[in-house]
Amino acid sequence: MRLSIFRFDPDRDRKPYMQDYELVPEPSERMLLDVLVRLKTVDDSLTFRRSCREGVCGSDAMNINGRNGLACITPVSGLKEPVELRPLPSFPVIRDLVVDMSQFFKQYHSIRPYLINDEPEPDKERVQSPEERAQLDGLYECILCACCTSQCPSSWWNPEKFVGPAGLLQAYRFIVDSRDRAGAQRLDDLNDPFRLFRCRTIMNCTEVCPRGLSPSRAIEKIRLMMVKASL
Amino acid sequence: MTRTKRHRIVFFDLRRIGMPVGAVTSILHRITGILLAAGVPWAVYLLDLSLGSSQSYLRAVALLDHWAVRGAAILMAWALAHHAFAGVRHLLADIDVGSRLQAARRSAWLVNLGAVAVTILVARVLL
Repeated sequence: MRLSIFRFDPDRDRKPYMQDYELVPEPSERMLLDVLVRLKTVDDSLTFRRSCREGVCGSDAMNINGRNGLACITPVSGLKEPVELRPLPSFPVIRDLVVDMSQFFKQYHSIRPYLINDEPEPDKERVQSPEERAQLDGLYECILCACCTSQCPSSWWNPEKFVGPAGLLQAYRFIVDSRDRAGAQRLDDLNDPFRLFRCRTIMNCTEVCPRGLSPSRAIEKIRLMMVKASL
Repeated sequence: MTRTKRHRIVFFDLRRIGMPVGAVTSILHRITGILLAAGVPWAVYLLDLSLGSSQSYLRAVALLDHWAVRGAAILMAWALAHHAFAGVRHLLADIDVGSRLQAARRSAWLVNLGAVAVTILVARVLL
């Protein structure tokens, strides 16, 4: 198996470069992350993030043959060779495949990703009906890997102003949560030419989401809620 | 740390980033918008020329006979068709029609191929 991997060490390199590797995957090395972990035993300078190795933590998001994805749930079979691995597009590179996600999380925090409810706390918990709980399906599963935001042209050009698909999916997750009481303020906060309306419905986000979620649909639903609220 | 801004780099090579059909359609939507805006003064000039007098009308007809102007007209027909189809696609998406991924992929293909079909028809008339 041939791989071509983006390399950059800020302490040593002036410019990034692509380094070629070749290895024969063991039968047990079925996912791209397995191959990267073995490469690391050959070249310990190769740097990438990984943790859960099963598509839950979102650490190993990277650009795989031009498309963002998680190395741990990307099967090696079927990948076009040489497999070109690069860091998430448009994010500052810290080293090799590791990127700085500060701006991404700044946008995420800006939507206040927590329940806001000033009503007196019940004795046990704020109960939801099964229907209310079902509203969160397709939203709560987001692992904040940033595959969507990093592949979104609107985020490329306006990372500081546009919340981005991941942040907006999370915003919708709290807007539709029956336990939250700040829906109107949340909609008001997003009613801005850049924060929400910079989305051009290109849908790269939904194309690449490794969890199969649809940030573009969440964004559209926020827009429809705004229209209904303004009528 | 001296390594911060001086060495901080970003991977952002559009040739290496995959563009699904929706992204290609969006890029073409922008390009066709620019083409149409740039074409307006020329279209107004030709209209004005054709309405001036019988001589200027003949000049306008002669201009439209030129291969370069015909080529530009075909290009503009493509731009107009693509921009209109893509605009309708956006409007429908705004009212929750065809906004799921599979439908959006299909409609993006439809926009791109529909614009080519219109262009072929216009080319057959003009050439």
